[in-house]
Amino acid sequence: MMIESILLFFLAVLTAPFFSGIILKVKAFFGGKKGPPLLIQYYTLIKLIQKGSVYSRSTTLMFKLGPIVSLCSALTVLLFLPIAGHDPVFSFHGDVIVVLYLLGLGRFFTIAAAMDTASPFEGMGAAREAYFPIICEAAFFMILILLYRLTGELSLSAYFSGENPFLLWYLAGPPLLFVVVAFFIILLTENSRVPVDDPATHLELTMIHEVMVLDHSGPDFGLIELGSFCKLFFYATLISRMILPFDLNIPLTFVFYFAGLVVVSVAVGVTESVMARYRMDKVPQFVLTSFALAFFATIITLEFI
Amino acid sequence: MSQFFISILIILTGGVFSLCFARQAKSVNIITVFLLSLGCLWGLMDVTSNLIHSAIAEKSFEYLNVFSLSFKMDGLSAFFLVAVFGICLLSSIYSFHYMAHEKKPVRVGVNYFFFSVLIASMALVITASNILAFMLSWEAMSLSSFFLVIYNHEASDNRKAGYLYFVFSHVGAMFILAAFALIYAHTGNLALGPMTRMPETMKILIFLFSFIGFGSKAGVFPFHVWLPFAHPAAPSHISAVMSGVMIKTGIYGMIRIYALLDLHTSLPGMVMIIAGAVSGILGVVYALGQHDLKRLLAYSSVENIGIILIGLGIGMTGVSSDNPAMAVLGFAGGFLHVLNHAVFKSLLFMGAGMVLHQTGTRSIDALGGLLKRMKITGTAVIIGSLAISGLPPLNGFVGEFLIYLGGFKGLALETSDFILSIVAIISLAVIGGLALACFTKVVGVVFQGEPRTRAAEKATEKGATMLVSMVVLAAACVFIGIFPGFIILLPLRAVAALGLEPTGFEPVMIIAGNLSFAAVVFLSMVILVALIRSFFYRNKPIAASGTWGCGFTQPTVKMQYTGSSYASFILDFFRPVAPLSEEHPAIQGRFPVKTHYKSHINDIAGLHMNKLVVDPILLVFEKLRWIQHGDIHLYIGYILLAIVLLLFFI
Repeated sequence: MMIESILLFFLAVLTAPFFSGIILKVKAFFGGKKGPPLLIQYYTLIKLIQKGSVYSRSTTLMFKLGPIVSLCSALTVLLFLPIAGHDPVFSFHGDVIVVLYLLGLGRFFTIAAAMDTASPFEGMGAAREAYFPIICEAAFFMILILLYRLTGELSLSAYFSGENPFLLWYLAGPPLLFVVVAFFIILLTENSRVPVDDPATHLELTMIHEVMVLDHSGPDFGLIELGSFCKLFFYATLISRMILPFDLNIPLTFVFYFAGLVVVSVAVGVTESVMARYRMDKVPQFVLTSFALAFFATIITLEFI
Repeated sequence: MSQFFISILIILTGGVFSLCFARQAKSVNIITVFLLSLGCLWGLMDVTSNLIHSAIAEKSFEYLNVFSLSFKMDGLSAFFLVAVFGICLLSSIYSFHYMAHEKKPVRVGVNYFFFSVLIASMALVITASNILAFMLSWEAMSLSSFFLVIYNHEASDNRKAGYLYFVFSHVGAMFILAAFALIYAHTGNLALGPMTRMPETMKILIFLFSFIGFGSKAGVFPFHVWLPFAHPAAPSHISAVMSGVMIKTGIYGMIRIYALLDLHTSLPGMVMIIAGAVSGILGVVYALGQHDLKRLLAYSSVENIGIILIGLGIGMTGVSSDNPAMAVLGFAGGFLHVLNHAVFKSLLFMGAGMVLHQTGTRSIDALGGLLKRMKITGTAVIIGSLAISGLPPLNGFVGEFLIYLGGFKGLALETSDFILSIVAIISLAVIGGLALACFTKVVGVVFQGEPRTRAAEKATEKGATMLVSMVVLAAACVFIGIFPGFIILLPLRAVAALGLEPTGFEPVMIIAGNLSFAAVVFLSMVILVALIRSFFYRNKPIAASGTWGCGFTQPTVKMQYTGSSYASFILDFFRPVAPLSEEHPAIQGRFPVKTHYKSHINDIAGLHMNKLVVDPILLVFEKLRWIQHGDIHLYIGYILLAIVLLLFFI
């Protein structure tokens, strides 16, 4: 069992860049373009790894630690994630809190690396990066409160592995719809997608995440990219397991799981294509919606179910 | 207990010695610091062994049968004493080089004298077991720290801070005295013993009085107004002691009274959680808005007191709802956070002290780029910042994790307790995120980037004893974070002293093991990735250049993002509770002269305290002025009248 979990972990890290390719393809389709190949992110990573780096004279060791820690926090998080409904590599009571705080640790180091460059643009991006995830964390904890109330457990595998998500729907179907939407909003925010952040914009002033990594180059930048793919994979898995919670024989579960991930990626791509980024001061309201939805779901479960 | 009193004696000897020989020579300081640290070390070893063997020691002193002082050390006292002696030990070591360049030897001597009184009185407050001993040591603690706050009394700001602190600590002491008076009225003796037979409403009243009294010492919102002024005014090693451990005596007082009262309602838990949530969130919001490094740290103490209160409140809710697992988790988390906060807050104050010592400024926006020339200080402060933001694998996370688990246990309860648990969990999450923003500001603006002024450009780190203290504290942060199993026994002993079932302790040890495991997994992942990274960089061209200016070719250090701008996004969201006042004279004329911009985040407690409390009191006393006429005969008449009136009541 353990070996399968570890194999699945490596599979997850290997496939993570693929889903980012899907998003690009969907956006290109909406733009009436052919778009880059589906495997574009792999080519980018290989290209980055082959390069050298240029470091700003303002930077210190923190600048080099930033990419390492942000990637490691994302990788460690995947170790606790039940991939394709299979038991995760590690799991214990409360692991989901550790997971959220590890993502926070990654954020701390990304911000520190950005502040290290003395660039005003990166400082601005850092200020935004420090802000929006606060609301996301509150929303995520609200969802955990609901899930704990339903299951009495506090670990990712208790919610998302095997037939557990199916049982969740069985216990409290309608409120979980809100949770799925809340998760999607959290995914968009945490992974710097439209309408919170625009990864493809041209003006540094309007970026959040992209502007923070402007000075990174070569393999360091590759580590950052891989980290953000893993983070996207993490949130996409949560939603995939929620919307297609079927636990059947091995190949079919895999197919459903993979289909779920593709659906999430396409949904992100469609959102990015049909929406514009919100004005910066409107973003908190959008992110707060996820908290409100989760809160509402909890109240409904408390009163009616 | 005799070992404990020996340590107190050594500490006081050090203080008196320094006072007597202050004029003599610099070498006096070495002996003073040696005696202070020896006393603290002695006490630390004694209380640690007491704590581990769960020994209870008692001692009382009688004088002519009228004046009795009694002291008792149980698990709860011993736990708080570990923090007191541990932090004071390192602070006194730190103080050696910090005070080395002070010009006025007498003042240094006086400072050391009051420092020794402060350490001794904190230790005595925590062990006092009757009302008299408690109040005497409490007053000694308040007064000695007052004199330490006005160390630099030439600056009017410091005098103001000292005055504010004086008023608050005495109004607080008045509430504590009121609580003790109620206790005395019901038990008829001065001992602070169990009060199970008291009527329930009386117990609640005592709890509320002591909550306000001790809360004003601990810095609970809205009684924290003095704290952000007084803590920064003192020399940095004193700030470290005040913020790290002195405010914890307030927490100790609350929990001691709670333990004696044996309350069965859910009210204490409710009061603690709500006060904790408000203090926690507002404390960190105000911290984020500060421009002064030490004041930022002081506000962050308000935040951490909030986290501790949430933990203890969850523990109390667990007790009142008969849920021992929740109670143990809440109390253990709260106590562990007491210890953790003592460690990282004193570390951060020491770091700020080093910055102040070397650059002469506490203004965040005047610093920058210090990490390059202050490697040890910078690294220690980064570790402290990670810990105070509650991030794994450092010690702050362990305490918060236990509190979270306690809060989640409370979700299984019914309506009001359920809502309290939600409040606790969500506010912890929000506090965590805001603390991250606040301390990335400290690290990013003060220690990273480019120096913004000449002072920051030339700063280096000096003073071996200062560096040693910081390194020890930073190592403690890392050690407790990675191996919480070794240290978690201490808070559990304190929880046991509250009379909770020891059977609930097993899960806590398992949790500590799990966290240790996760920390090791994460760190090995970091090492692995770092190795892979260095493999990628084999034989690669590595160049150095300027920061990418987004097309702008002449950047200056003034263009860097300031701490104020960094915080402004988040502060905008909290505008209703953190009103901003700005001062910016408009630019006029064709040839505008130099102008300035000043912004300040207002603390609503301070604002409303003036309007709602101070102004009405002044008004009343203004009306009563005619009583004070200066005629001595009438004053004697007042005294007679008062005695006659009192006779009716006796």
